[in-house]
Amino acid sequence: MLRRPTLVAAALLAAGALLLSGCTGDPAPEATPTAITPDPNASVDIRLVLEPGNLDIRETAGAALDQILIDNVYQGLVSRTPEQDIEPSLASDYEISPDGLTYTFTLREGVLFHNGEELTPEDVVWSLEQVRDTETFRDSARLANVESITADGQTITLSLSSPDSTLLWNLTGRAGLILKKGDKTDRKTAANGTGPFTLESWKQGDSITFARNEDYWGEKAKVAEVVFSYLPDNQAALAGALAGDFDALTGFDANLTDQIEAGGDFTVELGASTDKGTLAFNSKKAPLDDVRVRQAIRQAIDKEAIVTALGAGTTQYGPIPELDPGYEDLSSVAPYDPEAARALLAEAGAENLSLTLTLYSGYGTTVSQILVSNLNDVGITLKVDAVEFPTWINDVYINQDYDLSFVLHTEARDFENWANPAYYFTYDNPEVQRLYAESIASTDEAAAADLLKQAARIVSEDHAADWLYNGASVVAVSSGIAGLPSVNVNERLNVAEVVKSAE
Amino acid sequence: MIRYALTRLALLLLGLLVASALIFLTLRVLPGDVAQLIAGLNATPEQIEAIRDRLGLDAPLVVQYLQWIGGILTGDLGSSQLTGTPVIDELLQKAEVTIPLGLMALTVALLIALPFGVLSAVRRGRRDGTALNVGAQTIAAVPVVWAGMMLVIVFAVWLGWLPAQGFPREGWDDPARAFRSLLLPAVTIGVIEGAMLMRFVRSATLQAVGQDYVRTAAAKGLTRTRALLQHGLPNVGLSIITVLGLQVAGILVGAVVIEQLFGLPGIGRMLVADVGNRDLPKVQGELLVLTGFVLVVGFVVDLLHRVIDPRQREAE
Repeated sequence: MLRRPTLVAAALLAAGALLLSGCTGDPAPEATPTAITPDPNASVDIRLVLEPGNLDIRETAGAALDQILIDNVYQGLVSRTPEQDIEPSLASDYEISPDGLTYTFTLREGVLFHNGEELTPEDVVWSLEQVRDTETFRDSARLANVESITADGQTITLSLSSPDSTLLWNLTGRAGLILKKGDKTDRKTAANGTGPFTLESWKQGDSITFARNEDYWGEKAKVAEVVFSYLPDNQAALAGALAGDFDALTGFDANLTDQIEAGGDFTVELGASTDKGTLAFNSKKAPLDDVRVRQAIRQAIDKEAIVTALGAGTTQYGPIPELDPGYEDLSSVAPYDPEAARALLAEAGAENLSLTLTLYSGYGTTVSQILVSNLNDVGITLKVDAVEFPTWINDVYINQDYDLSFVLHTEARDFENWANPAYYFTYDNPEVQRLYAESIASTDEAAAADLLKQAARIVSEDHAADWLYNGASVVAVSSGIAGLPSVNVNERLNVAEVVKSAE
Repeated sequence: MIRYALTRLALLLLGLLVASALIFLTLRVLPGDVAQLIAGLNATPEQIEAIRDRLGLDAPLVVQYLQWIGGILTGDLGSSQLTGTPVIDELLQKAEVTIPLGLMALTVALLIALPFGVLSAVRRGRRDGTALNVGAQTIAAVPVVWAGMMLVIVFAVWLGWLPAQGFPREGWDDPARAFRSLLLPAVTIGVIEGAMLMRFVRSATLQAVGQDYVRTAAAKGLTRTRALLQHGLPNVGLSIITVLGLQVAGILVGAVVIEQLFGLPGIGRMLVADVGNRDLPKVQGELLVLTGFVLVVGFVVDLLHRVIDPRQREAE
């Protein structure tokens, strides 16, 4: 109900802001690297889009939790850099046996939890065992291959029943987070981790505040406080930034770049991301069970136009984005060709098709408008059904009652969904499932990636879905700020390195 | 009078009961399941079932409803399924934004409606009176979101006088900052509500002008305006109280929109988020309190009417 007035307002504000920037005589923003004198007592305000429902990282789903809590508040034995490299964290070092069955970690000493208690090897064993053995915990299945977790002094050993090329990566995520054994903290509204920041307060519906952990085992955070303000509306965020309320905006709309850069205080940084704008096909349902129809839809869609309309990102033609292992440029599989699409539809006897696109209303209308127009060109009438997220989950995700659905899948390394016939993608190919299982069991990183690559090509050639774009991570950063990551920030936002100018 | 008050009170309670049933049932029609939202995509059916079980979502609807009502009768409005926080605590916390916002909006509305409404009535038929009237009609038709955006552009982005969005984290510890952050949103709602109210004040005033006692006063040598101010306006005030009662609901609706727009952590924004999260016990509690608030305002207005206007008592 709110969408339409918001849109109208957005258009008007855009017009107004253009008018204003016209009046001020366009001070061209020079990207001069300003030397920053860091202020260790600074408070940094960062705008985020999606607020978590509660803070229980063990049980509650949602990228909003991973984004701020992992690395900043909670830590695992290993962590990942924005560039997706794995590095030691609570473990100072680690080793994997050549057969891929034994992982040995050396636990750091002198690590304190935020409540002052010391991190012990017992906490590590307990934490990992809990995740593995508690089915209701998120990502519990990711430790399924771990047979035993033992501690000998500061050495933690994980023994596997079979090799798992994804294990180390999984340990950088929720499955690997180390909590205090017997901790009574109410994890829904508070947190007790080992990270460079403590969770100071959560004002629901507004903001989450982190304070620097003065007893941090590693290099201490460079600002005293970080405030994450939750503000979904991009126009309101823009207005807030222009009025000086924020130091950085994540999830920014690249189309507003000129407006935010006009004052010279902000620069928009584009980083790579694993966001995949996925157009899912319900291939169990006629006429989408016909591969020719699916291919026709793919070839009817002008991906370049979508990327241009979004103002950022790149095209993507297969299930794996460039940041993930197994990526390959698959643009030749289904290039934009409306003529070929029409021919395919005629061949399949599927002319004058009418299909419904079900998507979460929060995604806006840019993508769906292009889809409607592109498909209309080849004789497909597309009805757009924009629904609330819970409705989407119910109809599309659980009941698989849909024709087409658009979802921005943000998770890194999530190829597993193409090997899972029960997933809402409805894609079932034993060859892909076999290749994926082999990739997991591989003890060699390059071989594992190559198997994924083969599987991904099959998925694309089966036209199991269409990939409309590989999103960019769009962050607007004020000139007084440095050290904010720009890669994949919708998934992880490590703020330990952020510095703010003393002005 | 007492009999009237008691009847009216009984009606109020009945209204609340009906509202509670309606709120409960209509929310159950919404598709989607909080357990699934908590567990997220990729959750196994066992994970979801475990959460449903913990939250008691499998109990029959009648049982869930009776539990809810039973809780309210013992003073427990329920808790959030996501965070476990009591609904009443969150409502009180968010009320520190929404109630001042509503009062400020109401003040702005009255400051606009009363003088300009009377003025446009007194100056009826003249150019300035017509201009006022047309102006009010135009402003009343402006969408609240658009008005808010325009005010932000001018006063926050352009002039930099007021914050564009947000509420100070310290809340009312710093009253000046808190007040400043509510000013633009309150003016946005207030101006539009004020324009609507102004048209009402105008017609109520016009009606008063035509009354015998005003004409009599004028015949006794008072100017028409003086006669109106001294004898007509008390009666105008009476009918305005009624409209103000209705206005409260309008301001609450306006707050839902304006809190989104200005990023204010108030009741309206919380409600929208909770519906999106399918945190039904929380939404139920919030809606019931809001409904109760509007009903109580109506009740008080009715009673006031009786007290102030002797004609209504005589009619009994």
